[in-house]
Amino acid sequence: MKPNRMIALIVSAATYLGAGGAWGAAEPNVVNDSPLGRTVQTCGTCHGVNGRSVSPTFPNLAAQTAPYIEAQLKAFKEQTRADPDAQAYMWGMAAQLSDAQIGELADYFSKQPAPAAGKSGGPAAIARGKQVFEEGVPARQIPPCASCHGAHGEGMATFPRLAGQHAPYLLKQLLVIQNALRNAPVMHGVVKELTRDQIQAVAVYLESI
Amino acid sequence: MPTPRTRSALQVIGACSLLGFAVPASAVPSFARQTGMACAACHTVYPELTPFGREFKLNGYVLDNIKQIKGITTENRETLSLNAVPPVSVMLQISYTHTGKALPDSAVSGALAKDGDVLFPQQASIFYAGKIADNLGAFVQLTYDGVGDSFGFDNTDIRYARHFTLGTDNTPSSHSLLMGVTVNNSPTVQDVWNTTSAWGFPYSGSSVAPTPVTSTKLDSGAGGIGQNAAGLGVYAWFDDSLYAEFSLYGAAIRGGAHPLDSTQSSVIHGVAPYWRLAYEYRWDRNSLSAGTFGIVAKEHPGAGAALQGPTDRFTDVAADVQYQFIGENHLFTALSTYIHENQKFDASYNATTQNPSNTLKTFKLTGEYSYRRSIGGSLGFFDTSGSTDSLLYPSVDATGAALQVVGSASHSPDSRGYIGELNYLPFLNIKLQLQYTRYTKFNGLSNNYDGAGRNASDNDTLYMLGWVNF
Repeated sequence: MKPNRMIALIVSAATYLGAGGAWGAAEPNVVNDSPLGRTVQTCGTCHGVNGRSVSPTFPNLAAQTAPYIEAQLKAFKEQTRADPDAQAYMWGMAAQLSDAQIGELADYFSKQPAPAAGKSGGPAAIARGKQVFEEGVPARQIPPCASCHGAHGEGMATFPRLAGQHAPYLLKQLLVIQNALRNAPVMHGVVKELTRDQIQAVAVYLESI
Repeated sequence: MPTPRTRSALQVIGACSLLGFAVPASAVPSFARQTGMACAACHTVYPELTPFGREFKLNGYVLDNIKQIKGITTENRETLSLNAVPPVSVMLQISYTHTGKALPDSAVSGALAKDGDVLFPQQASIFYAGKIADNLGAFVQLTYDGVGDSFGFDNTDIRYARHFTLGTDNTPSSHSLLMGVTVNNSPTVQDVWNTTSAWGFPYSGSSVAPTPVTSTKLDSGAGGIGQNAAGLGVYAWFDDSLYAEFSLYGAAIRGGAHPLDSTQSSVIHGVAPYWRLAYEYRWDRNSLSAGTFGIVAKEHPGAGAALQGPTDRFTDVAADVQYQFIGENHLFTALSTYIHENQKFDASYNATTQNPSNTLKTFKLTGEYSYRRSIGGSLGFFDTSGSTDSLLYPSVDATGAALQVVGSASHSPDSRGYIGELNYLPFLNIKLQLQYTRYTKFNGLSNNYDGAGRNASDNDTLYMLGWVNF
């Protein structure tokens, strides 16, 4: 191909792209250019557009309770949730979100199909975690997690869904709450007496359900 | 005996070798200012990108958290969307270089230059990096160079990108497609993996230590196209995993005679097509990518010869693999690149090259480790090898005197060695680096490679760098 033709080809492709509306009109299957669609795309870069993330650095959002997502996004925006990753990623991400957008995002992700159960620990750890989750640790006055988070870890209102969440994420959250880096008044009392092994076990169990 | 053209070419090679080539440098607080996100979102240890950093770049640097100045028409069409505060930042590099053996004095024959060179700064840069308008963003770097004592344009990439979903939203059968256009000033400056030269390892190096006589066109050494080009390209990023790009590069040499004429050298004729294909797979905390890239560049040798008639043709075909593990505490990266270059000298044969055609190959393998993005190290192996050519890689200058340091007694471009690096980042935007480059072969030989008594190990380089971004 002659150089001039190659340049013409690239320029016309660029122009076509620039006129994105025309592209969309010509191709009925090209959608998701709505304001919510664009916002979901941005969230989806880390959390997956369907709310199911690849890296355990980023939590699954699919089937998470809408009130919890809403509360967290507002906490990021107001910078009242201040664990390390919240500061590094979410303060910036949430800063420009309006209350209406936060509501739409919470609604969208809460309606996505729940993530599949994962497996990051052996049966013994899973069994130990199940016991902590369902029965708590009476000797240390630790109540069962299930009493707020639901019998199957499905969450309830502002108590988040935990089932199917990445174990490394749950572990990290329990540790940052224990270290008072993340403000969660109810949880501070609950996790204070949990050992590292119990935290690890309960995280592994929750990922497996 | 070298012709006048050879001499000019040698001067260019010598200057490039001794002055070093523009060293890649990036990772800019501009982006942090714009996005409100910490460096760790986009970088493992700067300038290396995380998967999110790659997405941010491919999306056109537009993710935004700054108050906007808006303009609309009465039909509600947006005419302006401008950051109220410009995402500007500054980079400062201060370095110390010590070579195995001092370099010859540039004026007094037989004397040696001072060994141990401080550059304050080696580079000082100002960046505008971020959004220009909706879907349009730029990475623009202006650099003061401490060796050249000059201020000029550095890495630049301006891009426009749009996102589409193919199929019904968020169903298993839907696919995401990002398409973009890039205008940039150096092949691979637009790339998002750190296996390509513009953002490849080593991320910074001495600008005063000797460097091998040549490199492939898409490598970062003396033979590379570097920033002597202007490129326009289109790219597609499918399902966050498959990348395809096609670009064209034309000659855009800064300084010297303009319009470009015989006093310039290595001037691209017409446009050089560049391609890139890569596939990235992500699982858990890992990402693995494999790809190919290449360029076909026809060049007028210039350097005394008119920019007309036959051209030399350089065809680079490269393969690259990158693996990243990004854990909470431990981060590991492996990078490998192989570039095969065919050189066909329809213009230079019998004038500045001995052979009608040559080959030149680059191989690099690097492993990097970082603990909490704070303390880390890298070990890299590099190897350039190719055809011997007595005119292209001469041992003597026009007067018959040995070409000290830059010459090749064996007329070979073969250079090989290791780079070891230790990094300490007290803050995410400050890097203190200790780097040691060990040459086992330099311009063809280990011992007396220049025919004037210099060994490859005499060019071993200790390089200390303070690299600050704010």
